[in-house]
Amino acid sequence: MPEEDIKVTIDKFTFLIPRDLSYSETGVWVKLEGSRARLGLSDFTQQHSGDVAFAKARPVGTKLESGDEFAEIETVKVNVSFPSPVKGTIVEISPSLEEAGELINQDPYNKGWLAVVELTDWEKDRARLLDAEGYAALVRNQVETELEA
Amino acid sequence: MKEKVLIVPCSGIGKSLGSVAREGAYIVTEELYPEQTRLMPLALLVLGDKETQTEVSSVGAIAIDGCARACAAKVVEGRGGRVARPLQVLDLCRRHPDLKPSGISELDEAGHKLAQALAVEVKALLDNLKGEVTHA
Amino acid sequence: MPELPKKKVGLIACSGEEIPEGTITRLAVRRVLESLRPQQSVTIWLPLFLAGGEGDRAFACFHPTIAVDGCEKRCAARGTEMYSGKPAVSIVVSDRAPTDSSELGSARRLSEAGMQVVNSLADQIARHVDELLGLKWDRRSEAALQSAKPQEDFKLSQTTCSCGSGIPVETLQVAGREVTLIGLPLVFAQFRGEGKLPSNSTKTELIETLRIYNPIPHQEEAAYAEAILQKYAAFCRRSN
Repeated sequence: MPEEDIKVTIDKFTFLIPRDLSYSETGVWVKLEGSRARLGLSDFTQQHSGDVAFAKARPVGTKLESGDEFAEIETVKVNVSFPSPVKGTIVEISPSLEEAGELINQDPYNKGWLAVVELTDWEKDRARLLDAEGYAALVRNQVETELEA
Repeated sequence: MKEKVLIVPCSGIGKSLGSVAREGAYIVTEELYPEQTRLMPLALLVLGDKETQTEVSSVGAIAIDGCARACAAKVVEGRGGRVARPLQVLDLCRRHPDLKPSGISELDEAGHKLAQALAVEVKALLDNLKGEVTHA
Repeated sequence: MPELPKKKVGLIACSGEEIPEGTITRLAVRRVLESLRPQQSVTIWLPLFLAGGEGDRAFACFHPTIAVDGCEKRCAARGTEMYSGKPAVSIVVSDRAPTDSSELGSARRLSEAGMQVVNSLADQIARHVDELLGLKWDRRSEAALQSAKPQEDFKLSQTTCSCGSGIPVETLQVAGREVTLIGLPLVFAQFRGEGKLPSNSTKTELIETLRIYNPIPHQEEAAYAEAILQKYAAFCRRSN
């Protein structure tokens, strides 16, 4: 039986971290789909950023190095751009981004996905990613640091 | 006699969006349409206050929510009310990208301008709703 | 395994928009959250109890809460009790504000007198927060003298509260009846991790800590304390 997804609860906030995904330190989740990777924002990232007013991703065909900006969101609180955790070419971007940015808040791991990348160096990229446990530890640390500030 | 349309702001106290919803509701009920509208506090509906529930189930309500959690619309409908038009301040932010509100206890200038824009939209809804409101 | 919830107090304002007292509740709670006790308090939003706020409901279930209402209808206090748990403290602004509420200004814009009520109410709420958390304050530095301690991770019972929060609970016998205490396994793990042996002083500390998450009737406190200590002693033996 698969283990349950991780939930990090601090005060009244619970951040869901699915175990079947990998994560960058900047809060982007990665789901391997054959030779491609689907990318989105973690539950912690969307809660931390606030209600998404606008979201956009770089267009299909964009070649990315790991670390290149691939998407940007604009919330009432902040404008945030996100570096790609993988190297490759964007082959698909979510059709909902322009009209329904709130899907990133409401369903970050499914309907709120941002882009699909055709990978060119997965083994190297994978080594840099965190598993769910590692990302959960990072989230706890970050929240506790912010609360103490 | 025509009953007053109920204006139900979410009035959340955790985000500036809630403050915009509340301020917009005040502009409508105190300045633009004081004779035709009445502000209804959400807390009374949450409590299940009988008088409030009866009123909200017989008269149309405009629910003004801050964000997509839509507390006001959900609570009004959950208490048997009819949301004539749901509004979200976040959608308004998309239509006015130059107005990013901040401040919760006290809205900043952008927040007040957004509240004004919200009140104008509510006024337009009310003008359209004139024929739809239940008459006593 | 969820961690023992950090000691915080939930503040619930009625925020009633029709009367200035409702505005006072909102501004006073914001003042506590932003300035007076930012590390020790969090806001709970009443409508979320109905609109899908599982986190708010669970928090109010396990943490002490202070309900701040504008008038005798007490929407915040009654709503919290209805959907989550009885607030530890219930304050009604109209009990302490000027009899003629027009002196407070309007619901939209408070007068200077209204803002004074906000400030004194915020101070009152902050004092209640301190009492509920058992904090002692250094008045010179305004810093809490109690510091957080780390806890070790022990294997514990996985029985969790039925509300779905995931916080472990455990049942024990107190004065001939079964009582379920929220957070008991986590409190035991924390104490064990700090090297506290079963003793009278540990007994006192245990009951004070558990009181934050569980209502313990004053007249039964001694029976609770004894039962908890015996349970803790058995826990320590199993952990050795």
